[in-house]
Amino acid sequence: MSRNRHALAPSRRQIVVTGATLAGALAAPRIGGAQARPVRIGLLHPVTGFVAYSGAQSRLGGQIAIDEVNAAGGIRSMGGAKLEAILGDTQAKVEIGVAEVEKMNEAGVAAIVGCFQSAIVLATTQAAAKYGIPYAVDVGASDLITSRGLKNVFRLKPGFGKCVDEAIKALGGINGAAGGIAKSAVIVHESSEFGTGTAKLLADRLPGINVEVKEVIKHDNPTRNFDNVALRIRSLKPDVLMMSNYQNEYVLLARTLHQQKVDLAGMFSVLGGGFNYKFAKDLPDVAEHMMDYNHWFAPTNPKAQAMKKKVEAMGTLFTFEVYLAYNAVKLIADALERAGSADKEKLTAALAASTWSDHFMPYGATRFVDGQNQGGEAAALQVQKGDIEVVYPAQFASAKPVFPKPKFG
Amino acid sequence: MNARRIVAVFGAALVAAFALPFVLPSNYAVNVAAMILFTAFLGQSWNIAGGFAGQTSFGHVVFFGTGAYASTILQVAWGWNPWLGWIAAALAGGVVGLAIGALAFRAGLRGSYFALVTLAFAEVFRILANSAEFTRGGLGILIPSDPRAANLQFKDPVWFYWIALALLALSLAVAAWLKRSRFGAQLAAIRENEDAARALGIDVFRAKTICLGISGAMAAAGGTFYAQKYLYVDPSIAYGVEKSVEMLLVSMIGGAGTVFGPLVGAAVLGGVGEITRSFAAGQGLSLVVYGAILVAIVAWLPDGLIGVFARRGGARRGRDA
Repeated sequence: MSRNRHALAPSRRQIVVTGATLAGALAAPRIGGAQARPVRIGLLHPVTGFVAYSGAQSRLGGQIAIDEVNAAGGIRSMGGAKLEAILGDTQAKVEIGVAEVEKMNEAGVAAIVGCFQSAIVLATTQAAAKYGIPYAVDVGASDLITSRGLKNVFRLKPGFGKCVDEAIKALGGINGAAGGIAKSAVIVHESSEFGTGTAKLLADRLPGINVEVKEVIKHDNPTRNFDNVALRIRSLKPDVLMMSNYQNEYVLLARTLHQQKVDLAGMFSVLGGGFNYKFAKDLPDVAEHMMDYNHWFAPTNPKAQAMKKKVEAMGTLFTFEVYLAYNAVKLIADALERAGSADKEKLTAALAASTWSDHFMPYGATRFVDGQNQGGEAAALQVQKGDIEVVYPAQFASAKPVFPKPKFG
Repeated sequence: MNARRIVAVFGAALVAAFALPFVLPSNYAVNVAAMILFTAFLGQSWNIAGGFAGQTSFGHVVFFGTGAYASTILQVAWGWNPWLGWIAAALAGGVVGLAIGALAFRAGLRGSYFALVTLAFAEVFRILANSAEFTRGGLGILIPSDPRAANLQFKDPVWFYWIALALLALSLAVAAWLKRSRFGAQLAAIRENEDAARALGIDVFRAKTICLGISGAMAAAGGTFYAQKYLYVDPSIAYGVEKSVEMLLVSMIGGAGTVFGPLVGAAVLGGVGEITRSFAAGQGLSLVVYGAILVAIVAWLPDGLIGVFARRGGARRGRDA
């Protein structure tokens, strides 16, 4: 009995250990209090729905950037505050996207990065504006996004207006070097704001470089069969095909044209959603010599190459969604550093005054006018021997363009 | 329940629903509640034609989109006040409903043929919206943000909640009237056996066409609500098939042909959607869970969720007797 009682009674060592543990537990909040509160960043993307691949890639890019900032000690001017991702899925639907913004506001996010589709960017930026939440648009091409006078919206990359102008310049240059063989074009585009806006601008600008537009063909999202579109293109016999579509339709159209052996001097997309390493790797025969004018990292920048290796080591591809979301988060981290606060107004002011150059895009230092970065530039790309090369502008080019492309058979 | 008691219960529920935003913990919760009420209202618009009259439509979004575009174009291009535009949108939806009804019912289309022709109309309207200059095609129309009550735009989501509640209350009143009125009885007769209804002297063509007109006006009013809340309309948002499915689904899940079925369906589907969406870690998991729950409800509750309450109520009354 007494032995049992003795066994139940705490030993001096146990008392010391328990006391130390309790003291540690009680002290923990004080130690925690010395640490800066994390800064929440909303990562809003369509990770389900018809653009789920692009959404997941965007989310990955944002998360890598957050991890890197935290690994480097967090936001130093805020006592090393860590960034914390608040994830949101728009499901490629306007109302879900807006509901997610409401949720992120309740979660106390300092800023939002998102969200791929122009129509949803338009609605979600407006929802964020109600609460003054700074919103960095990673992907979302419409020029309307930065022309509504919303003070909380910032876009690092160029919108489709500038992209089309530059793409026309690139195509004019490439075609001119080949002796002006391309005299006619057909435009195929997806039917939402992004594709329609891009196609409209292309149709206006192509005659300026002596390329006649034979027809503009639009298609829905999703489209599961492009046989008739391919037959129509074959019958029109254009020299070049201009495309502007999201991932799945881009790939399917390219594959259908390849299967039907439609001969073209070139296939040139503007912001082609499917033009990426995945496409070049999965369908090398189809992708070979296709060209795209799209967002691209500066290929000679060592940070870009290191990031590319890192992403590929994770078993995924270094697509434009990854590095645009990555850089959008880094842009916010830089603004937080300068603002020294997660206060929305201070952060918005810091973003508006941003002269950030620590990115790996071919943009130079940032300068925002009405939320649009003025230095944002895309590049002309071409698949050559299964890899993607920059073929224009010359200062970033890693290869010369192959134009016209070889004929079938 | 007698009519006075029903009105009292309905009024008390309305007051409680009006006060709900004051106890909800956040704007997010208010927004979710507003969308549930709004979805219930759209479901009710489908239910008027699909549930009460048995005219199953797969393309009810044609009315929703017409309303969204009508008020938006009147506002942006013609400078109309959106409140007036809202009335015009409801009228436009009603006219489209009457026109589609007149064409389809004159041609004797019933059942799945009528369902398919509504789907075809919705597609035609979507293609037209995608091609026409005045709708700005695929570019869509952006309503300039100017949050003022006079512009039917609000900074605080609670106002959209209250408007959605008012719309729903109105639609419930229409449904309750149909349940008790002579016109509603005619629709029920048509739903059960159209030929027998005709033999009884009911003007089947007229009743069905008017019913589709009422239903169309309601869905179009919903289209304006949506456009004013999100301030952007494009062809896939306005005429996308998902909206038709949503309207149909909340009615079927809740209980088609009943007054409160769409509200029950919207509450359950909205709640399930919110809960499953909170599983953000598993990409796509939320949709899998959501789909599985839908399959289960459809498989085991063919009369909808309201059928369970009706059966229980019946059993209890049987026991009491």
